[in-house]
Amino acid sequence: MIGGKPDMETARILVVDDDKTIAGAIEKLLVMEGYEVIKAYNGMEALDALVSNDVQLIILDIMMPKLDGLSTMMKVRDGKNIPIILLSAKSEDSDKILGLSMGADDYVTKPFNPQELVARVKSQLRRYLHLGAKDSANGTSKIVVGGLYMDVEKAEFMVDGEPVKLTAKEFKILEFLMKNAGRVFSAEQIYEKVWQEPAYSVENTVMVHIRRIREKIEINPKEPKYLKVVWGIGYKIEKV
Amino acid sequence: MVTRLRKFNRSKGLKATAFLLAVVFITAIVLHVVYIYYRNYDLEPLFEEEYTKSKEFLNDELTPIIDEMHDYLATSIKPDKEFHYYYFFTDEVNTYNNISLDELQKLKYKYEVLIQPWLYKEFKTVQDKSKEYTLYLAFPDDYIQKRQAVWNDIRSELIPITVSFLQSVIAALICLGYLIVVAGRKAEDDKVHLSPYTDRIYSDIQAGGILFTLFIWFYIYGNTLMDNNYQNSNLTADQTISMIAIGIITAIAASICVMFLLSLVRKLKAGKLIKHTLIFAILSGISNFVRSFFNDSRFEHYPLTKSLNRRQVIFTVSSGFMVFIFFISMFINPFFGLFAIFLEGLIIYWYFNENKKTFEEINLGFQESYKEMMKSEKMKVDLITNVSHDLKTPLTSIISYVELLSKEDLPETARDYVKILAEKSERLKNIVSDLFELAKSTSGNLPLNLENLDLKKLIEQTLADMEDDIKKTNLRIKTNLTENPVYIYSDGKKLYRVFQNIIGNALKYSLSGTRVFIDMEIANNYVNVTVKNTASYDMDFTAEEILQRFNRGDKSRSTEGSGLGLSIAESFTQACGGTFKVEIDGDQFKVKMGFPISR
Repeated sequence: MIGGKPDMETARILVVDDDKTIAGAIEKLLVMEGYEVIKAYNGMEALDALVSNDVQLIILDIMMPKLDGLSTMMKVRDGKNIPIILLSAKSEDSDKILGLSMGADDYVTKPFNPQELVARVKSQLRRYLHLGAKDSANGTSKIVVGGLYMDVEKAEFMVDGEPVKLTAKEFKILEFLMKNAGRVFSAEQIYEKVWQEPAYSVENTVMVHIRRIREKIEINPKEPKYLKVVWGIGYKIEKV
Repeated sequence: MVTRLRKFNRSKGLKATAFLLAVVFITAIVLHVVYIYYRNYDLEPLFEEEYTKSKEFLNDELTPIIDEMHDYLATSIKPDKEFHYYYFFTDEVNTYNNISLDELQKLKYKYEVLIQPWLYKEFKTVQDKSKEYTLYLAFPDDYIQKRQAVWNDIRSELIPITVSFLQSVIAALICLGYLIVVAGRKAEDDKVHLSPYTDRIYSDIQAGGILFTLFIWFYIYGNTLMDNNYQNSNLTADQTISMIAIGIITAIAASICVMFLLSLVRKLKAGKLIKHTLIFAILSGISNFVRSFFNDSRFEHYPLTKSLNRRQVIFTVSSGFMVFIFFISMFINPFFGLFAIFLEGLIIYWYFNENKKTFEEINLGFQESYKEMMKSEKMKVDLITNVSHDLKTPLTSIISYVELLSKEDLPETARDYVKILAEKSERLKNIVSDLFELAKSTSGNLPLNLENLDLKKLIEQTLADMEDDIKKTNLRIKTNLTENPVYIYSDGKKLYRVFQNIIGNALKYSLSGTRVFIDMEIANNYVNVTVKNTASYDMDFTAEEILQRFNRGDKSRSTEGSGLGLSIAESFTQACGGTFKVEIDGDQFKVKMGFPISR
């Protein structure tokens, strides 16, 4: 990162979408939240805008003429690690996984909920502007998965730098799942680990806890980014 | 003529009667013959009224007498017997007689025989052997009259037998003629009908059957017929029994022969006499077999395969011919054998080379069609994606600007309008999203992430996930799940959508205070899940209608959701390898799903 980090409230955001009305709507939504917005209508324009402007976040449409979103993202990723939120009408899991694996920080499908988009922008900016040091934190008691940060000793938990209050059981469940990020655990395994009791008919108990945790840590609990249900198998924290 | 023939009565009853009569009359003909044989009848009285004019009289009466007299005159030894006839012979010197010539001349039955002595080596009674003499013979009137009476008796017996014999012959011919005319015809129409039983036997087998039956009949007949050389006024008991036996076998043989004959006639009428022979069947079977080698009509639309087939036939036939030439030439000239081997080599070279080319062409064709298929598949996916994109882009603008609008300082009424716009655009978003999931699923383009998962757990998770929605209603969910995990190979996320939709529907459309049942049972390597609820409204639709896209369970009440929930559930279930069925029974709404259990 070159230069000082601007304040989160005055961050500059590049919005790239070939549909001018959508770009305009996003601009107004973000300006209302106090951000500064630059618009571009295709990938080439976006790359040009990045040369002359210091930008802290990019909202990038995938299907665009001249240079599409994914190619633009790859060019940006060559030199910068600013957060990129991909915007696309493609809603398939495979599209999301492709976008995220190519370097996107988040993936929002069109038509999006404006408030959710704003929330995701905020969360990305928080992480990018305030959590730089914590991202690279290493210590036995600290666990980081994507925007999730947990300090087991201090019993601290933050999502994108924002502290979140968890109950003891919720904390233990998250601790167990985050330590084993990417692995799937059944309700019984989680129960026995967290409750320290033999599990019997615990699916509902565990699922209810999972749901509550999701509501606390996910921007859209219906489309969770971190805490996922693997239907018919178990639960996991996505390794981001 | 033909039309007149058709006017004959063709009823089944009449036909059967005619058949029976034909058999009876044929039997009668045979029995007449046997009877005449057993009675040892001389048939001559039938044709000759006068005994003295009959051959029998000439042969049995006159000729022996002439011979006797010849011997007497030649040897001059008088037979030692009493003569039952009169004779007179003189050579002008000696006279041999038992009656005077005058008296003899007065008799009615008299004969003159010319004697030519020079024809004989010895003829003692005459002096001059070179002259001709006359022998006078005569029968007493009463002798001939007695004979004539016997003759008349036989005649009177023979004539009625003959008449009835001829009647039988005519009757049999009439019956057979009628049967032949009406054979294959039915009272209802003018078509030729073949019998489903006898006519199935091949014609040549039937003809052979007739000959065989006749042969057997003849054999038995010959063995049953007894020798009979004595004349009786009545039949003996043995003869009567043998006649009954002959009658029975004749009736049987006649039945079989007439039956086969009529069958042959029917086939002749239908024009199938020759075609329906065993020989024809065998020959045509062989010809079909041979022709099938050369027949390539099957490959009509596949010129490459056709040429392969033709080449194969040519190769096989010419190679076979070469082997034949080779063996033949071994006996004549070994040089020709070498020539055959050389030619065979050429044929093999040609065969493999040309086939290789054809195979290459076929491969190219395969590649082309595979490419075409991939292209059209890709076009289908692209179409869905593009239409989806084109609908979602303006919708994104609408939703975003409605949001912006709601943040403006608006009068109260405008605020209400914006609220409605927000709701409706949200609904439109859901419909578009559901629609494209359904389109992808029904077009077979739904990407699946298949893994072994526990269906029981999935249902429990879905219920726990929907707990808030369930609590909002005053419905109770009654589950009856299996005790142990049930593993199926499926896509968990899609199945979650399925159960979410079905349970969501149940929550939306159930009568307040009732229970929603979720049952799970295992049967024949299948796990069946039934979701049952009591509808809160009159279900005036069929199970098929409810599954049709956009067909809403309750058209009047609901304004939320896309109305595609059940269709998506059905389509996803099927895409995941399960079965999906809706049953409506009164107020009971049932969704039945089945999934194969994985091992």
